[in-house]
Order: sequence, then C-alpha cells, then structure tokens
Amino acid sequence: MSGATQQGGHGEQVPAPVYGLARYRRRPRGAERTARVGMAVFLGSWAMLFVGLFFAYAAVRARAPVWPPLDAPPLPRLLPGLNTLVMAGSSAAVARAVRAQDLGRAAGAAAALGIAAGLGAAFVALQGFVWTGLWRQGLVPSGGTYASVFYALTAFHALHVLVGLAALGWFAVRARAGGSGRTDVRLWGWYWHFVGVVWAALYATLYLA
Amino acid sequence: MTPAQALMEAAQPIHAPPTSFWRRYVFSIDHKVIARQFLWAGLLFLLFGGALAMLIRWQWGFPYRPVPLVGGLFLRGSGGLIGPAVYQQLFTTHGLIMIFFAVTPVLIGCFGNLLIPLMIGARDMAFPRLNMYSFWTFLLSQLLVLASFFTALGTAGAGWTTYPPLSTNVGMPGLGQTLMVAAIFVTGASSTMGAVNYVTTVIRLRAPGMTYMRLPLTIWGLWLTAILTALFVPVLGSAALLLLLDREFGTQFFLPAASAVRGGGDPILWQHLFWIFGHPEVYILILPAWGILGDVISFFARKPHHWYRGTVWAMIVVTVLSAMVYGHHMFLTGMSPLLGEGFMLFTLLISAPSMVVVLNWVLTVWKGSVRLDTPMLFALGTAFVFGVGGLTGLFLGDVSMDLYLHDTMFVVGHFHFTMAAASFMGAMTGLYFWFPKMFGRRLDERLGKAHFWFTLIGLTLVFGGQLLAGYAGQQRRLFDPFQYTFIQGLRGLNRWTSYFAFALFAGQFLFVANFFRTVFGRRAAPSGPNPWEVTTLEWSATSSPPPFHNFDRIPEVVRGPHEFSNPEVRRLTGRDYAGQAEVLPGGGEPAAAAGKG
Repeated sequence: MSGATQQGGHGEQVPAPVYGLARYRRRPRGAERTARVGMAVFLGSWAMLFVGLFFAYAAVRARAPVWPPLDAPPLPRLLPGLNTLVMAGSSAAVARAVRAQDLGRAAGAAAALGIAAGLGAAFVALQGFVWTGLWRQGLVPSGGTYASVFYALTAFHALHVLVGLAALGWFAVRARAGGSGRTDVRLWGWYWHFVGVVWAALYATLYLA
Repeated sequence: MTPAQALMEAAQPIHAPPTSFWRRYVFSIDHKVIARQFLWAGLLFLLFGGALAMLIRWQWGFPYRPVPLVGGLFLRGSGGLIGPAVYQQLFTTHGLIMIFFAVTPVLIGCFGNLLIPLMIGARDMAFPRLNMYSFWTFLLSQLLVLASFFTALGTAGAGWTTYPPLSTNVGMPGLGQTLMVAAIFVTGASSTMGAVNYVTTVIRLRAPGMTYMRLPLTIWGLWLTAILTALFVPVLGSAALLLLLDREFGTQFFLPAASAVRGGGDPILWQHLFWIFGHPEVYILILPAWGILGDVISFFARKPHHWYRGTVWAMIVVTVLSAMVYGHHMFLTGMSPLLGEGFMLFTLLISAPSMVVVLNWVLTVWKGSVRLDTPMLFALGTAFVFGVGGLTGLFLGDVSMDLYLHDTMFVVGHFHFTMAAASFMGAMTGLYFWFPKMFGRRLDERLGKAHFWFTLIGLTLVFGGQLLAGYAGQQRRLFDPFQYTFIQGLRGLNRWTSYFAFALFAGQFLFVANFFRTVFGRRAAPSGPNPWEVTTLEWSATSSPPPFHNFDRIPEVVRGPHEFSNPEVRRLTGRDYAGQAEVLPGGGEPAAAAGKG
C-alpha cells in the first residue's frame, strides 16, 4: 500500500501532506476496511462453530464399530458431487459480480448476482431431492448416530445457504434497480465462499470418505 | 490538528445525538447507553443468582427445614421445604445465571462497551448497530431463562455444565431444560456479536499515536477476552445446538445407545465440546478483571505499572495457553494417562505467566504513594482472592491430587475464588472506579468501604469454608450431604459457612443503597471530568459523562497509559500525572521520552 492511494472515499476532507505519515498509512480511510476486518473476524469466529460440529462428527465416527452402519441406505455420490460444482459455480459468479462492480459495470454485476442466486437455489433444490430420497429409504434423524450426523450437519449448512441466498437475491434485485453498496456485495461474497468451503468439507467427509 | 487526527476525524464524523426517547435510551446505538443497559441487566440477574445461592446455602446449613421468608412464597407446594428436584434446579440455575447472565454482561458487556471506545479514543464502536443487536439478543436470552422457571416441570436441573445423559430427554424431559439450552445458544450469539465488534474496534479505531504498547491494560484484557470469546463461544454454540437436536429431533449425539452394531452417541463428547469452550471461559471472565486491576493499581499507587510489557505478554501467553488445557476438567473420564499428563503440564505452566501478572501488581504497589480509595481496596482484594483461587488450582491441575479432590467442594471453593470472587470483585473495582464516568457522580466512599470489607471477608470465609469441606471429603452438589456418616462431622462447618454467606449477601445491599442514592439522589455532587487524577483518555480528554460523540476532537496520543510521578511532568505542570494525549507546556519533549515506558 502506498501513500498515493490516500484519496479514498474521504479524500476531499484529508489535508495534503498525508503522504508524510508512513506510520499511519495502514489506518482506516472510511468504513470499508473496518467492515472487512469485522467480517473476517466474524467468519473466523463462526468457523469455530463448524469446527465444533466436525469435532462431534469425528468423535462419534471414531467410536462407531462400523461406519456407515450396515443397515443404512448408501448415500448418493453423484448428485452431491454435482451440487459441489453448483456451489463452486455460484461462488465464481459472486466473485465475478464483485469484479464487475469494481469495474463499474452495473449490468454485468446484476447478471452475475442473478446467476449466483439461481445456482444457490438449485443447490438447495438438489439437496432437498437428496434428503427426500434418503428419507424414503428409511434414513431418519432419530435412526442412530449416522443419521444424526448426516442430517444435523447438512441441515445446519443448508440453513446458512438459505441466509446467503436471501442476501444474494436481494442484491440481484437491487443491482437491477440501481445498485447496492459495493462493500455489502463483497462481504456477503466472502460469506458465500465460506459456506461453499464448508460444503466442500462436508462432501469430502460425509459422502466420499 | 495533525494529519493523522484529520484522517480519523474523517473516518468518524460527529453525528447529532438522537432526540426521541426511544432512540436515546431504549434502542440506542450509543455504546455508553448500551453499556448501562448491560449493567442493569447484569446487576439484576446478579442479585437473582445470589438469592438462589442463599437457598442452596440454606439447604446445606439446615436441610429439611422450611425456608424462612421466601419458602412460603415460592415453595408453597412443599410447605416451604426445598425438595431434591428444586434443589437440583437451584444449583443449576445459580451457576448458569451467574456465569452467562450476570458476570458476563457486567464485566464484558458493560465495561467492554463503555471503555473500549473511550479508552482508545474512538467516537463509538466499529459497528454501533451490531452493538445494539448484541444487547437485545442478550435480553432475549435472559427472557428465555426467566420463561424456563414457569414451565410445567420447572427450569433446568442438569447442573450448570449440563452433562448428558442427565441433560437429555431421558434425564430432564421438561421444557425448562430446553429453554435454558436455547438461552445458552442465544446468549452465545450475543457474545459473539459483541466480540466481533470489540476485536474490530480495537484493531481499527485506535486514536492516532495509540499504539498497541500504549493501550491501557484494561483494553488489553478486554481485547484478549474478545478474541477468546470469538473463538470459543461458538464451540459452546455447536454443543448446545447438538443437544437441542437430541432433545427435540431425536438425534443421538450424546445418548449412548444399546445397539452393538450401530454404536451410540457419546456423553463424553459433550464434555469435550463443553470444556473446549469452558476453560477459555474461565479466562474470558478473569482477563477483563486482570486488565482493570493492572490500570487501577497503577493509578492509585501513583506509579507507572511495573513492567507493562511483561504484563501484556504474560496476558497474551495466558490467552494462548488457556486454549490448550481443557482436558484437566476430564481427568476422571478415562482419558489416556499420557494425554492427562500433557494437559497437566500446560495447566501448571499457566501459573508462570499468571505469576508475572500478579508480581507486577505487587511491585507496582511497592513503594508507591498508595491512595486507599474504594476502587483500590477492591483491586487489592481482587488480587488476594485471585491468589487463593490460583494456588488452589494447582492442586486440581495435578492429576494425582485431582483424583481425590475431583467433584468435591474443594473444586467448588476453587472456582468460586477465581470466577466468582475475583471476577465479582474485579467488576466492583471497575464499577467504583468508572462510576463517575458513567453517571457523572462518585459513589459514596464510606458505604463503599463498608461494602468492600463485607465482600472481602465474606467471600473469603464462604469459599474458604467450601475449600475446607471439600478437603475433608464433602462431595459437591449433594442434596443432603449429611446422609453420609463421614460428612456428618462437617455439619457445623457447613452451617457457619451458610451464616457467612447470608452476611455476605446482606452486605451487598450496601452497594445497592449506594448505587441508588448516587444515581437518583440529590446529594452527590458532580464529580468533574477527572476525579481520580489519572491519565487515560476517558478521564483526561473528555468530560464526565462524555458527550454523545465522546471526544470533541479525536485525541492524538503521545505517551503510555501510566505516566505518574514523573519529576519532569511535575516541574512543567505541577501535577503528578500527565494525560495520554496531554501536550505539556514547553514542547512536550519529556513526554516523548517517557512515552516509551
């Protein structure tokens, strides 16, 4: 970061000899950096909740004599695998939207946000399809630790997807109507990537391994 | 105005204070108002939790006798007697309320909110609105706690640690337990919101010149606490979530099942998750008190804090170590001896940095011009009770000793010395000290000193009695300890401990009276901006209570937080202290030199 970038959102209020302040040059110029730090702290904190859940999963699985239990229906791999791609695509679309916003292309941002929200909705739909299929085959939450882990982790993750979906949908609508705060989209994008990473970990440990 | 100040001014412009009553006092985003809201909510529950403790003490002092006064009101069904089920609910809710709904809001919610922006020279928190949500979420959790008392089978009764299988539907089928677990989850969410705010505020909004090594120790304590909260309260959240799923949706995380093919859930899993959070929680509650002590002792000894950097680093090391010792709560769960030894090693290692902190307090007082005002008395008292708590902790951290002392009253005495006595007295230190900043008036000194002696002697005798009883073999949580022949000899000790507890509780009303007299009475005179003659920004750079925007101009900090008894400062100003942002007459050269210290 160099002294030349001092002209931030508040550039007009800053007196000229700011470049002399080497010591303070990483100090805030506006709320954006503060918001970014806050979001990073929040995601780090919230990640610990998932760490706790995965810890529980690991402990339960390590104690089980057979995993998965012999009478449990086999989990599908293809559909959740497809869902992983959907989630990755959605994340990429959000990243695209942020980039389009940075470049000042409102229409591009709106389109990318729309695609991201659509893919997110597709994720939830596919996940619902997987759930109902397994439920019909007899895998219900009260059916032992295996089902407990499967439903608790995927449902709690899906809840996060729904929250993110609401935000992305809102941004997509707003972007068409004239744009929302750049920082908002960027930070919700971080959240969306976070949810995607959690899904990748879930897919790898629940469905594959 | 320097360019650095101009940058901060631009980032935090002054807003006009809200004019409507609701925006000003109820749905306020002003950190000072939110701090007072947390204070009220916390103090009310502190009184409530204390009253529950009195009922427990009544049961241990006088089992099978009707409770005087309140027995006829709340226990009419049993003729004023405390039955086993009610007794279980008493010690459960006492612990939960005190830790999550009383000490946490006062120490972290109130002081964190009040002090972080004021002491680092900011106009408000980084996210004022999130701050408001944090308080209202917290209030929701308190309402859930209150609601749990009015359910069919009564409130939670599985102990504050909420161990399954007792805390699952098998042991506690009532709605009360569910509501309490939900309350824990909600209050965890509130704490996390607060922590995100605190961490970000300290990183981003320090005034120009307020380097990390010039932060008042109070801020260090609150900041490290916020980091621990952000990292480990969500782990408790995950545990509470899984327990709720077990209770409401029939999952089996914590229920050991009979099936040999499928395996079952694991009650010990709860203990892991709970203590991964629970041990840092001990430090979450004590680090703010440490920080407050570090500043207050220096202020009232009129000396710079001894080895400020040492204290800061010791607190950081304690913070790191606190995340690596949780297993010492679980030595008796059949843990591998090797693992147990590792946990023991780290546990005992914590005493090294803790000793650095305590010795620095002692050396700060050493040869100081000590002023024994009420905050200083409370600070010294905190150091004493924390010392007793810490030293008894060494016995419990040691595996071979813990095998005997585990689940005895010794454990109860130990953690009450640290978490109850030290945190409570630390909070009182802060309250007496920052009261003029919050309300513009000083608490009465005579009542305050009486309150101090009642508290110090009371706490020491009550929890000392518990240590003795535990060392003699009395198990904790027994409904009627004297069913056991070998505990019958402790009847007198228990009864005396109960008398002391009643006196301690009664003594707290000195504070209640003092509080209301000062806040609502007409007699107390305004305290002026800096009644204690100290250095930190909230005293030396703004009025009492501060205006809505805290500082008319964001201060430029030029020296560390404990500039006392510097002869050069005295020569230039005639005072024995210099504010952190004070520019001394004559160019401020000596201040720049002293700023390094």
